[in-house]
Amino acid sequence: MAQASASALNRWDGGVCPFDAGWRKVMMWWFIVTDGLLFAGFLASYGYARLLAGRWPDQASVFSLRYIAAMTFVLISSSATMASAVQSARDGNARVATRFVALTALGGACFLGMQAFEWRHLIEAGARLNVNPWGAPAFGAYFFLLTGFHGTHVLTGVVVLVVTALRSAMGRSTAEGVEMAGLYWHFVDLVWVFIFTLFYLL
Amino acid sequence: MKTYWITWSVLLGFTLMMLWADGAAIPRTAFVAFMLVAMLTKASIIGANFMHLRSERLPLVLTVVVGLLVTGAVLFVLIAPDALRIHQMVDASQAR
Repeated sequence: MAQASASALNRWDGGVCPFDAGWRKVMMWWFIVTDGLLFAGFLASYGYARLLAGRWPDQASVFSLRYIAAMTFVLISSSATMASAVQSARDGNARVATRFVALTALGGACFLGMQAFEWRHLIEAGARLNVNPWGAPAFGAYFFLLTGFHGTHVLTGVVVLVVTALRSAMGRSTAEGVEMAGLYWHFVDLVWVFIFTLFYLL
Repeated sequence: MKTYWITWSVLLGFTLMMLWADGAAIPRTAFVAFMLVAMLTKASIIGANFMHLRSERLPLVLTVVVGLLVTGAVLFVLIAPDALRIHQMVDASQAR
């Protein structure tokens, strides 16, 4: 009998929740894993195309790395405010949580504005999906693909954050809801770490 | 909440170091190695502290991290070089 209850307590045996998390959190993690693999596929194909191209444009001559660093700063800062929002929501401080979520949404909108400016700058310089003034045609294609797909995620995140902030302000959002929005937002930040390094710096 | 802002400053520090390395006269191999290590460290810090993987249960952490790392490694270490090899084979056969 004692053996049977000890066995039931073993979390690797099944019969209990192995992740010790609610279904929303588990589903959000599955989404993050699958979406992360999608970005991994894009980045792997970018590496392949870059090796194949032979010569690749010098990023420092195409982009202003200080400007890209400023975009990174905005995104990292918004991640910190989002983490603070999750903590405040967990502590039951809905007002502070709402402010931090709104601040995060503002950071996301700021990032999107900066990205739109960068796109405009490159398009005016002649960059297109199939051609660009810096040589390797794949350069333009991967620039628009990677930053565009990431930007779409940021835009979705901003919408989710605005809705979360409004719901939180009306007292209709739970701490778990804020946490899910937070997980998504940190994932967007995480992906940018890879794009920033692999596309802009290396 | 203090932990998050310490994490933020560490991430910022790493980003500044990466930008410094980009402008410094470092051998290409060392530069690439440094960038990759810094990138993975930043990603781990975000996952552990901001996404709270540090306080999640081990089965969830292993499922997420191992799932991403193994599949990512398959893409980068096996599929991409193989695609490159196939492309070179096609090029070689067309040249004949």
